Amino acid sequence: MISTKNVTVAYKRSSIVALRDVNINIPGYSVTCILGPNASGKTTLLKTIAQLLSYNGVVEITGRDAKSIIRELRRILSYSSTLEERDLLGVTVLDVLVYSRYPVSRGFFTSEEDITRVREVAEKLGVGDLLSRRLSELSAGELQRVVLAAALAKDPRILLLDEPDSHLDVYSKIWLSSFLREISGQITVILSTHDPIFASMTCDYFVVLSRGEVAFIGLREELLKNTSILEKVYRVPFTSISLGELHVLLPLNQNTHRDKLVKLEEQSRRDTSYNSSNTRGDH
Amino acid sequence: MTSKWRIILVFLLLIASVTLPLLYTQLITLTEGLPGRILTYRLHRAIYAVLAGIVLATSGCILQATLRNPLVDHYVLGTGSGALFAVYTTLLLLEHVTLWVISLAAALGGLSALAITILIAESISGGDVAYVLSGIGVTSLFSGLSVLLLYYVASKYGYASLMLTGTFIHSRPENLPYTLLATTLILVGYILLAKRLNVIMLGDDHAAQLGVNPNVTRLLASIIAGVSASIIVSQFGVIGFLGLVTPHIARFILKTSDNRLVMPLAMALGALLLFTTDTLSRSIMTRIIGEVPAGAVISALGAPFFLLLLIRRFRGGLS
Repeated sequence: MISTKNVTVAYKRSSIVALRDVNINIPGYSVTCILGPNASGKTTLLKTIAQLLSYNGVVEITGRDAKSIIRELRRILSYSSTLEERDLLGVTVLDVLVYSRYPVSRGFFTSEEDITRVREVAEKLGVGDLLSRRLSELSAGELQRVVLAAALAKDPRILLLDEPDSHLDVYSKIWLSSFLREISGQITVILSTHDPIFASMTCDYFVVLSRGEVAFIGLREELLKNTSILEKVYRVPFTSISLGELHVLLPLNQNTHRDKLVKLEEQSRRDTSYNSSNTRGDH
Repeated sequence: MTSKWRIILVFLLLIASVTLPLLYTQLITLTEGLPGRILTYRLHRAIYAVLAGIVLATSGCILQATLRNPLVDHYVLGTGSGALFAVYTTLLLLEHVTLWVISLAAALGGLSALAITILIAESISGGDVAYVLSGIGVTSLFSGLSVLLLYYVASKYGYASLMLTGTFIHSRPENLPYTLLATTLILVGYILLAKRLNVIMLGDDHAAQLGVNPNVTRLLASIIAGVSASIIVSQFGVIGFLGLVTPHIARFILKTSDNRLVMPLAMALGALLLFTTDTLSRSIMTRIIGEVPAGAVISALGAPFFLLLLIRRFRGGLS
């Protein structure tokens, strides 16, 4: 669905190469996560796909060169990070959502269709009651929902989210995770995050970046088996835990957690062998 | 109220803000039984006050939205004093100057001052207060130079001193094409920019992914707002704070930041405020202390409002 061929991004001012020869293929109608430490190129990759930066190489979206379909892309692709929070010009939540329909809104003034669609999106994201509020009156969690609603206001087919889980509490993270999984049936979602637990709960497909290069690309299951890739990139030990259908990646503290985990694993092995010998005894 | 009715009401008010001052002026002058040439003078004066109000208010809306800064207008950003300095320089250097040359010089002077303010503000931090500080510096520079030049200019053109604080006392029919030019430019700016500026207010990345090029929009907005305000300065002098105050009142009344509505309401408010001030200064104040420039009255009213905004800005949030 979305692929990059030899994509390199160099920032002119600092002569830093933010992305180097990135070749990835991201499947459609799934949730893909871009993982990587600070300054690994996550935001740059999202912005490159969104055609917000100049780059060398080719970005293809549904088999077509993104540069050649830029007008269409502005309608079908949303890139969302944070809004300008210097809310000093009286910008309300309704304003944000209405303005975010810019490429699909017909006519000079806001139409009834715009308002109807905006209300639907707001209700879906639980911000229907906040429409007349100003941005400065929102909590960080509410603002994050408004940012997501703004990204969805133009009914995109591709949604790029730069750290959508930042500032969210546990309840909101779980809500966001299930919401993104729900919409991934109709929308291709690519997100970046710093939280491996949130990533492994939410995403089917992973791109791991390290200093602007691709360190891993593949399905969640493969990454869960190969946590050494993350250990190399983050220089922190990782483990994967499975609780029924829930599989999560867990970063560990080198000094304390690893010893505890070894003990826990030994304990768990002993319990399992004890249980299985007991079960055998029952027979 | 549905959005359709709001739009209709705002535009009815805008039409009223243009027509009522002219009707009022005509009616009052005719009932006073004054000669036709006085009526012509007063009508011109009323039209100029109304149109200048429209231009300066819209220019303020555009500058505030494009710079995402509630504390600015053409005056605060130094455009007014830059344009005035260019006018004085032209009057001093050229033997015979037409209003075309003066308008052109003002546009170039105003834009240069605006560019200097923006460059300095961006090099400090790009924050909203950086723009105010940088603007104060540029305004002081060009105001000081203008006052110096005035010593020489005033000997050639007596009315030049009136331009320091904008006034419509010397309204002449010759001002009409230039005032109309500035008004047309700002109305074109409204149609071209209002929707784009809404998106710009949410941030450059957000605007770009919606298909609005922030750099092109900002350049176009600065040129339109800067040139139209400068042309008004070249005709009637510097009228400060009108462009700062009216967008805030419009946003407060409408409870939205939508420039498609805020701009026409600010136009109506600007027109009514400037016409009322000028008429009061012409009629009532003349009897008490003599005719006071409308620009001085507007500044006296607008400056406290600006200070209030500044205080609220630092206490967190604005309403």
